[in-house]
Amino acid sequence: MTQGSMQIAALPVRSGFGLPLLLLSAAGLLGLSVLLAGQAAPALAWPWLLGVVALLLVGAVGIRQSAQGESRTARILPAAATLILAVLAAEAILRAYAVPTGLIPAPSKVAQSLWAARTVLLQDAYYTFVLEALLGFVVGTLAGLGLALLAVRFRILERGVLPYAALLSSVPIVALAPVVIKAAGLGWPSKTIIVAITVLFPVVINAVRGLQSAQPMHLDLMHSYAASPAQIFREVRWPSALPFIFTALRVSSTLALINAIVAEFFGTEGHGLGFRIQIEVGRFGLDIVWAAIVVASVIGISFYLFISALERFVLRRN
Amino acid sequence: MTAAPANLPRPARRPSNLLPMLGVALAALLLYWPLMLWANSGQAARSLASGADLGCTTALACATQLRNPVIPAPGQFATGFTSLSVPPLAPTSAPYNALVTGGETLLGLALASVLGLVLATLLVRSRSFERATLPWLVASQTVPIVALAPMLAVLLGQYGVQGFLPKAIIAAYIAFFPIAIGMAQGLRSPDPLQLDLMRTYRASPAQVFGLLQVPASLPYLFTSLKVAATAALVGSIVAEISTISFSGLGKMLAENSRASDTVALWVIMIYGAALGIVLVALIGGLERLVTRWRPPA
Repeated sequence: MTQGSMQIAALPVRSGFGLPLLLLSAAGLLGLSVLLAGQAAPALAWPWLLGVVALLLVGAVGIRQSAQGESRTARILPAAATLILAVLAAEAILRAYAVPTGLIPAPSKVAQSLWAARTVLLQDAYYTFVLEALLGFVVGTLAGLGLALLAVRFRILERGVLPYAALLSSVPIVALAPVVIKAAGLGWPSKTIIVAITVLFPVVINAVRGLQSAQPMHLDLMHSYAASPAQIFREVRWPSALPFIFTALRVSSTLALINAIVAEFFGTEGHGLGFRIQIEVGRFGLDIVWAAIVVASVIGISFYLFISALERFVLRRN
Repeated sequence: MTAAPANLPRPARRPSNLLPMLGVALAALLLYWPLMLWANSGQAARSLASGADLGCTTALACATQLRNPVIPAPGQFATGFTSLSVPPLAPTSAPYNALVTGGETLLGLALASVLGLVLATLLVRSRSFERATLPWLVASQTVPIVALAPMLAVLLGQYGVQGFLPKAIIAAYIAFFPIAIGMAQGLRSPDPLQLDLMRTYRASPAQVFGLLQVPASLPYLFTSLKVAATAALVGSIVAEISTISFSGLGKMLAENSRASDTVALWVIMIYGAALGIVLVALIGGLERLVTRWRPPA
């Protein structure tokens, strides 16, 4: 399966050469960008492109070398190097071809705009993440857990409601958003409602499945101990449901932010990352768009990692 | 990821869900009338206070006659529904536009499956490629990729890609990551015993790939396709909104959202919801057709 990498590993060049090659490639790409910064636009773009491709090939060999073995560096370095080299190469190519910022902004331009517009973007992020995504996530999770408890307690409800939940989870958020925004107004609460609705379905479905996943043997054991229903719930049902619930929470954590942004495309009072992206696309301010996407990505990944860490912490304690 | 297994058929020995489902539907219908009156009466009272002539005297009576109700009354629903769908294939009717959007999404999903297979093969074949790109593929799942859709639409328009294709490309772009990851998982899923069996048959690597790994990855492909389908649908609708489009549910949404025609928005929402459900059901049907050898889990 890994014939390719095995051949490379058999070559005399060992993984020690990985890092120098990566540094060479990165420094070369950086150098090209710096050289290109001096002039307006080179008369001939293709020699620069050739240089970028050559340096990327050096980088690719470096990535291959550094990906050998099982050390911590061999796991982390290739991914980090890929991102850095891709950004540097994009910078050099965009400069060589003098691509206007209104079409594709160079990474350096995005970084500048990110810094210049930091207060606006942070305020947008506060609306989109804290008020809409996070609040909607919490409300949707609590409502979902409540509904799941009811569905497990009253079987008729489970059989009546759960099929709808499964059905409705394949409804696209964009169909829902305009109606909810028209009904609940342009302010942030309408987006919070939309996020809560989209979080609700996966939480209900997984929580019901989790609450029913308790092993019959454990339940029998609790019965023979004459445990009360509350005790059975606390000691058996709830712990066995937690992994299922956290799976739903992890999926929903990314959905929450994405859906908050999409919902903002359908009307806001002038705040939020989705609003910013839409309005700047219309004005060809693509550097701000990219900056907003960078902010959203960092928040999205952090939130996901936080929920994953919480999952590990809670599941280890139980 | 969570939604997909729920669509699998339940074991047959369980009692039918039909009666409880009908009960819940009935309860929702009974709740709908008071909810509609409550939601609309505030706006009705305001219009009455401003002296608008609605042909009614109390806020409650007016709640069913508003021009832009929060929740449409049954009569308004019926009128809106017929006016938007009666010549079903007219360019302004919702079924036609739903078909356009559905077509874009399906084309996007097909593109994404091909790309996903290529990427998954690379991921499985080369460990250094996997280490270099997999963290970013996983991270891209947590990133609002759909935020890129308006920009990508503009960019593709600049290079002359117009009409049907940009929406399908954006749908593919959104569906592509979950499919690639699911396929990579699937290509790795044959257990050592099966791989050993292939070796005893002296199968070439290409035969192992085509006869064992690809078929084994199909269930994974369909699971991720179901997850990706809704996302791709969102992608094509957002793309329709943010480019100049002449058809599609997204274009209808944008138009009626600007015109504040709430009845039309409700009708389009129902069509959009139905389209999402039909797409997932279509993929489920295709799955049963293609993976016949596999008993439903």
